[in-house]
Amino acid sequence: MRVTEGTNYDTIRDSIQRSRSRMENLQQQTATLKKLNTPSDDPVGSAKVLEVRTDRMNNDQFQMNAKLAETFLNNTDHALEELSNILVRAKEIAIGQASGARANDDTRLAVAEEVSQLYQQAVATANRRIGERYIFGGYKTNKPPLDNEGRYTGDNGHMMSEIAKGIFLSMNVPGIEVFNTNPQASEDARSEIYRNNTQGERQQNRTLASADESTPERSEAENVNLFQELQNLRIGLLSGDTGGIQNTLERFDQMHAKVVSERAKIGARVAGLQTTTQSLERHTITNAQLTSQLEDADMAQVVSDLAKEETVFRSSLQSSHKLIQPTLLDFLK
Amino acid sequence: MAIPNIFRTGMSGMMASKTAVATTGHNISNANTEGYSRQRVQQETTTPQIGSGRNILGTGVQPARTERVNDEYLEKHIRNGVRDLSNFEEKDTALRQIEDIFNEMNGEGLNRLMSRFFNEFRKLSNEPDSEAVRQSVREASQAIVNDFHRLRNEVVEVRKHIDSRIEGYSKEINTATEEIRDLNIKIQQAEATGVSPNDLLDKRDKALKNLATYMDIAAHKDNKGHYSVDVRGVGPLVVGPNAEKFSVERTPADQDGKGENSVDLRTSASAHGNVTHGLKGGKLGALLEVRDQMLTTILDRLDTMAYSLSEAVNDVHAEGYTRTGQKGIAFFAPMSGKDRAAEFLQLSDDVKTNINNIATAAIPDAPGDNRIALAIAGLQDHRILNDGRANFDEFYNSIVSDVGVATQRNKAGISQQKDIMTQLNKMRDQISGVSIDEETANLLQFQQTYGASAKVIQVADEMLKTVLDLKR
Repeated sequence: MRVTEGTNYDTIRDSIQRSRSRMENLQQQTATLKKLNTPSDDPVGSAKVLEVRTDRMNNDQFQMNAKLAETFLNNTDHALEELSNILVRAKEIAIGQASGARANDDTRLAVAEEVSQLYQQAVATANRRIGERYIFGGYKTNKPPLDNEGRYTGDNGHMMSEIAKGIFLSMNVPGIEVFNTNPQASEDARSEIYRNNTQGERQQNRTLASADESTPERSEAENVNLFQELQNLRIGLLSGDTGGIQNTLERFDQMHAKVVSERAKIGARVAGLQTTTQSLERHTITNAQLTSQLEDADMAQVVSDLAKEETVFRSSLQSSHKLIQPTLLDFLK
Repeated sequence: MAIPNIFRTGMSGMMASKTAVATTGHNISNANTEGYSRQRVQQETTTPQIGSGRNILGTGVQPARTERVNDEYLEKHIRNGVRDLSNFEEKDTALRQIEDIFNEMNGEGLNRLMSRFFNEFRKLSNEPDSEAVRQSVREASQAIVNDFHRLRNEVVEVRKHIDSRIEGYSKEINTATEEIRDLNIKIQQAEATGVSPNDLLDKRDKALKNLATYMDIAAHKDNKGHYSVDVRGVGPLVVGPNAEKFSVERTPADQDGKGENSVDLRTSASAHGNVTHGLKGGKLGALLEVRDQMLTTILDRLDTMAYSLSEAVNDVHAEGYTRTGQKGIAFFAPMSGKDRAAEFLQLSDDVKTNINNIATAAIPDAPGDNRIALAIAGLQDHRILNDGRANFDEFYNSIVSDVGVATQRNKAGISQQKDIMTQLNKMRDQISGVSIDEETANLLQFQQTYGASAKVIQVADEMLKTVLDLKR
C-alpha cells in the first residue's frame, strides 16, 4: 500500500478529533451530572423522562388534593361528633323528662332552656366553616346552609376531589344527608330552595365527575329531621306533653344512628384516602428512581471513561509524534 | 553512427531528466494542494537510426507526455461521499436548532407548562370559590399560550434561517457552475492541441466535488465531446461551454409541504423553472427536506395540538356557569380552524378581563360546584389527538422524541459517512497523493540520469577530441 504524508497527517488529525469529541461529551456529562442533555442523546428515554415528569407533577397535585380532602373530611367529622353529642344530651333530657318520677312542669321548663341552647349549638355546628366555605352546604358553600328555622338552604352536591389518576372521592357531606334520616322524604327535599342537582347532569355531560353516593335509602321510611326533633322536644317540654317527649326518644335514636353511620362513612373515606396517598408516595419514589436511571449520569462510569479517554488522547498524540516521521530528505545530507 | 549524434543522444537524456525533475518538483510543491493528482512523465525512445551494417541505433529519449495518476471511478465515489456527508452535516445544523427549541431536559417547556395548566384546574376544583386560585389558573393558561407562540415562532425562525441559507447556496452554486464552465472551455482548447491539461483537470474535479456538496449531480461527456454536468431529478446544469443559473423566489405555500413565503428554487434551464421539489441530496436536499417535511410536520402538529386544546377546553367550559351565573363562555378565544392555531391561540377576552368568568360549576349559583374544573383537569388524560390514540402529553412528547430520533439517526449517519470518507480519501491518496519519500527518490534518480547523460556528452566530446587529435 502506498502511504503518503497526506494520509499520515489525515490519520493524526482524525484520531485527535475523535478523541476530543468523545472527551467533550464526557465532560458535558460531568458538568451537568446528566447523561440526557438533549432529546437526541436518548429519544425514547427523554420521552419517558417527560412522561414521568408529568406523572410526578400530577402526583404532587393529587397528594395536595388528598391533604385538602382529608382536612375537609376531618372537620366534617368533628362537626358530626358535636352533633352526635348534642343528640345524646337531648335524648338524656327526653328520657329524664318523659317519665314522671323526677320530672314535673318546673323541671321541664328549666331543661327546655337547655334544649333551646342545644338547638342553637346544633345550628351553629351545621353552619360550620373552613375559611370562607360552609362545609355542610353541598355546592352552596357561600352561605349558611341552615336558616334560623332549621331549614336547609344548601343542595346535595358532592365536591369530588381527584386523589389519584381517575380516582375521585367526595370531600364533603351535604347537610341534607346528615340532618335527615331519610333525605328523600324530608321537607328539605320538597322545599323550593333545595335543588337536587346530581341527577341528570351526569348524562348531560359524561366528562363531569359527579357524586355517586346519593343513592336513595329507605325511601318509604318516615323521615326524622334533627332540628325539627329538637324543636319537638322543646315544645313538648314547654307544653308538658310527656307523650310527645316520649315519641322523640325513638326518633333521637334513629337520628343518632344516622349521624354515627355518616361518621363511619367519613372514616372509611379518610382511610381510603390515606391508603391512596401512601401508594402515591411509593409511586413518587419509584418515579424518582426511574428518572434518575434515565437521565442521571453514572459518575463512576463517566469519570473512569474520561480517564480512559484521556489515556487514548495522550497515546494518540504520542503516536502522532512517531507518525510524523523523518523523510528520506533527512538522510541525504 | 556519427559522433555528433551521440551528443544529441546525451542531450535528449539531459532534457528528459530535466523534464522529469521539473515534474517531480511540481509534485513536491503541490504535495499539500487539495485535489491535486501526482503527475508522471511518460518517456519514450526517439526514432531509431539505421546504422552501418545491420545495426539499428537508438537516438535517445523524449518525454512523450505528462499524465496525472488518477482514478476517475474513485473520484465519482468521493463526489457521492462528499454529497452525502454534506447532506448529513447540513441537516445536523438544522436539526440541532430544532432540537434546542424542544429541549426541556434542563428547563421549562410546554410539557411542564401543560402539566401545570391541568394541575391548576385541579387546584381550582379544590377551591372553586377562591379568587387566588382563579388568578393562578389564568396565569398558567397564559403561560401555555405564550409557549405555543414561542414554539411556533422559533420553528418559523428556523424555516426563515433555512430559506436564507438556500438563497446563499444558490449563489455559491452559480459561482461553482461558472468555474466549471470556464474550465471546460480552457480544457477543450488545451485538448485540441493534443496535450493533457492535468492541473486544469484536477481543478475541474475539485470544482465538481464542491458542486456535489450542494446536490446530487452526475458528470459525463456527451456525444459531441462536451463535458456536461446534470443535476439528478432536474436536468443539465453545465453543457460544455454553457452554464445554467439558479435563482430563488418567494412564493406561496404549495402542496408538497413548502410553507407560505418560503423560497422556491428555479433554474434558467428547466421549462417551468421551478425545481424545488426535484432537488435531492447534498446541502440543498438536506435543507429542503428539513424545511418542507420536518418543519411542516412539526408546525402542523403544534397547530393541531393548540386547536384541539382550545376546542376541548372550550367545549367543557361552555357547559359551565361562571361566578356571575353566565353559561356558554369560551375559555380560549374561539378559532375558525387549526390553520396556524398555535400562533393565534389566545385566552378569550372574557377570561382575560375577569377571572370570575372562569366557569367551574355545572349549575348556576353554586360556588362550591367544581365539576367543570374537574372535567377540564380530566382532559389531560383524554385521548383526543391522533384519532383518539394520544392525549396532549403523549402527542407533545412524540414531537420531542421524533425530533430526537431524527437528530440521533442523523448523528449516526454523520459518523458513518465520515468513516466512509476517511476510507475513500485514503484510497485516493494511495493513488493520487504525493509521497515526499517517493518524490525524493525519483529526484535523485532523475538527477543521476541527468549527470550520466552529461557524462555521455563529455565522453563524446573526448572521442571527438581524440579524432581531431589524430591529425596532429
